[in-house]
Amino acid sequence: MRWIVAAFVIVLFAGALLTLDGSRTRADITFASADVFTLDPQRMSYMQDLRISRSLFEGLCSHDPETNAAVPGVALNWETSPDGKTWTFHLRPDARWTNGDPVTSVDFRNSWRRLLLPDTAADYSELLFSVRGARSFFAWRTNALAQYAAGTKHDAETASALWETTLSTFDKMVGIHTPDPQTLVVELENPVPYWLDLCAFQTLAPIHQPSLDKFRKIDAATGIMRSDTGWTKPGVLVTNGPMKLVEWRYKRGMRLEPNKFYVGPNAPIAKSVEVVPIEDANTAVLAYESGSIDWISDLTAEFRADLAESSRKWLDRYREEYDLRIAAGASVDEALAALPAPDAALGERRDVHVLSSFGTDFWSFNCRPTLSNGHANPFSDARVRRAFALAVDKAALTKSVTRLNELVATTIVPRDSINGYVSPAGLPFDIARAKEEMAAAGWIDRTGDGIVENAAGDPFPTVDMLYMTGNPRVKNIAIALASMWRDALGVQCELRGKDGKFAKEDLRRGNFMIARGGWYGDYADPTTFLDLAKTGNGNNDRAFSNARFDGLLAQAAAELDPTKRMAILTEAERLLVEEEMPMLPLCQYVTLYMYDPAKIRGIIRHPRLDQRLSLLHRIDEQTAKPSP
Amino acid sequence: MTGFIIRRLLQLPLVLFTVVVVTFALVWLIPGNPMLQEGRQPPPEVVEAMNRQYQLDSPVTFFGGYLARVSGVGWVLGWNDTPFDLGPSMRHPDWTVNEIIGAGFPISATIGLGAIAIALVIGTVAGIIGGLRPGSWLDAGTQLIALIGISVPSFVTGSFLIVLLAAKFRIFPIAGWGTPAHALLPMLTLSLPFAAYIARLLRFGLVEQMSTDHLRTALAKGLSRRQAAWRHALKNAFLPVLSFLGPATAVAMTGSFVVEKVFAIPGLGRHFVDAVLGKDITLVMGIVLVYAFLLIVLNLAVDVLYAWIDPRIDLAGTGAR
Repeated sequence: MRWIVAAFVIVLFAGALLTLDGSRTRADITFASADVFTLDPQRMSYMQDLRISRSLFEGLCSHDPETNAAVPGVALNWETSPDGKTWTFHLRPDARWTNGDPVTSVDFRNSWRRLLLPDTAADYSELLFSVRGARSFFAWRTNALAQYAAGTKHDAETASALWETTLSTFDKMVGIHTPDPQTLVVELENPVPYWLDLCAFQTLAPIHQPSLDKFRKIDAATGIMRSDTGWTKPGVLVTNGPMKLVEWRYKRGMRLEPNKFYVGPNAPIAKSVEVVPIEDANTAVLAYESGSIDWISDLTAEFRADLAESSRKWLDRYREEYDLRIAAGASVDEALAALPAPDAALGERRDVHVLSSFGTDFWSFNCRPTLSNGHANPFSDARVRRAFALAVDKAALTKSVTRLNELVATTIVPRDSINGYVSPAGLPFDIARAKEEMAAAGWIDRTGDGIVENAAGDPFPTVDMLYMTGNPRVKNIAIALASMWRDALGVQCELRGKDGKFAKEDLRRGNFMIARGGWYGDYADPTTFLDLAKTGNGNNDRAFSNARFDGLLAQAAAELDPTKRMAILTEAERLLVEEEMPMLPLCQYVTLYMYDPAKIRGIIRHPRLDQRLSLLHRIDEQTAKPSP
Repeated sequence: MTGFIIRRLLQLPLVLFTVVVVTFALVWLIPGNPMLQEGRQPPPEVVEAMNRQYQLDSPVTFFGGYLARVSGVGWVLGWNDTPFDLGPSMRHPDWTVNEIIGAGFPISATIGLGAIAIALVIGTVAGIIGGLRPGSWLDAGTQLIALIGISVPSFVTGSFLIVLLAAKFRIFPIAGWGTPAHALLPMLTLSLPFAAYIARLLRFGLVEQMSTDHLRTALAKGLSRRQAAWRHALKNAFLPVLSFLGPATAVAMTGSFVVEKVFAIPGLGRHFVDAVLGKDITLVMGIVLVYAFLLIVLNLAVDVLYAWIDPRIDLAGTGAR
């Protein structure tokens, strides 16, 4: 018996050790990231996927790391027609794929067609809907597939005939032309002022059709052109960006190294970059502290406000010297690295960075006339919405609730984030005015019990506040808002926390009075935020509908003069944040990074936070230059 | 015995089918669309195209196609290229469920097997120490530790071990997977509740065995307590441990998701939890199938092994007791 047990233990251990694959050489830069979903550029929509893609694929344009303005990528230069509707791009003749093939205009046409095929099931198809005929083509193909499915003949021959028709229909219908390998001509339905910014968006990156073709087949049963898994794996994936994929293991990480065929403006500095998905926020911090990772790209540990406080404390001590260095032209990281090292005994650190991002934290008011339970909705009255907005002390929220000192927001479009756009003022924190608005809407404390009632004597219904569980920050904000509204306006609030997908379902059905919202912009134009309030928009959870606002958006879309267009959009946003208030903006989102500026460089601090892995590099092995 | 094994194996497809149907019904009822991000919603026509592409518009079509593909029927009929294809993951379109399970299962199995091995060593030693001297301070000490081992959840033990041995003393890497050093802390964390349980089983078994007649005879013949225990009591005392090992191994191999999350290990348990949270229908069903298969086979193995060790057990059900 003893021997059986001993043998059993040995066999177990031997079996256990079989799957280990030994230690590997550490990459130059290792960083922790949320898990990557896909490397298929047309299918991606998550921030972490786009971040990897930016180094693997290069679009017509790319972004300047400092200003985030659209700059040449694969396109060397471009022209616009006087009406702003036709764009002609001239591609670099020396651009190459990782297998040495030249990158041509046809590669772009192929990838854009793929983005516009309903077969691809791409989240971001709509980015190309401004191209002439694109939306109609999407509808045409959807309809053709539906007819095919309803028809009787479902064989390979009929399916490929439909596919051939689809290709020729695309060429006829959609305004994308390739007169020669280095020229791409795009016709738009309307002038799109942010078109170049879209051309730098990763879902519009080119694809290497021959390598994808091996993984594509037409499904005879449905007529759908399907891409199998597998074409994005290392060794198979052919890319045109500054880095190439060397290794990718499911939820174990990914390794990128420079692409030796790359010619273009974004030549890599990085030698090798490894991405490791660490889900547990505390484990990520411990891994950083132990030196096994160099950068946490989204610090979410619950004690992050304390970590940020430690960095702020240190910086405050040397603020003067820091400001002098910035004034002398140093970058933020250079200035931080040149300051005296933090004193751990005083609880100081220099590696936590609170960065404003291109997103707004807001709460949504349900604007439907009745609630999902059939009762009248007090928030269908703009005066009530304004009152609730006026009663929120946002500065107190960011100072003592989130404790991250985010920029307080009175607008939906982050202030100063878009060149040429002037933000409206929005509403201040003003309890007296809030009470006036409530009184004007008929809500007055008539019985002296601290609760407001309407003319009929009915008390203000208990405010149903819906929020997503799982993030303590959101819950803390909800608690604070509820107490501010109770004290200032005399209303009772009830918090209702739900898991993400369930909360989303309630939002869709309008089962809430006030709900947690928030939005990150996709491109450098106010409409990426303002569209949220458009009648019928898929993300208009509030069911807000205002003819004047919709009219202003339509007017802006038709306006050719960029200055006038921006002025129209300012008026549209003013209507939202000063009069109608479907959303109550709280603050600008921040992202917390953890990295030591004395060790690594190349992290972009522009609010879009469009990181380029190809820029990352170590500086701590080099001899530190003595500061002047 | 052979008849018993064949009967059980014949039941296997039926059990698996039931599991798949129930799982599908439950996953389908989770609200939301696996294709969409939580925060943003594409235009309606795009959502419709996604649903059509992934057959999310009809549970009947979806499940019918799935069954044909997974069971191998579709392969026989020439609809699919390969049999037993669990399909692509819906949230991670670059990976098939087969690939994900192929990558994650060996890792979970490693941690599970290693944990059981460690648990056997720790549990046996602690059980013998306590069992030979019931009532002594050594016994009280090991019993207390065993109680703690059973009661403390593994995310606490795991975090504690990381902070102490990885972050403070830097003996082990913090997280990840690859080297034996990566594997040891998660194995140890996962093993503690099992070790504690084994220690308690063995300790009580030994105490009971030491007071039986044949042990008294052995002692009367002049064997020392230690010799008597080693030669006669231990074997019988170990039987309950052995019957515990089967289900324990299955549990350790399939139930390590907390440990996997704390140590950032890309095992199957973590993939399963993520799949449920993201409503990744194909991945949830694939992993449930593997778990069900594993549990059934391991339980069968335990039954057979038990009958082999203890001839009094009548697997064939002939009633000849």
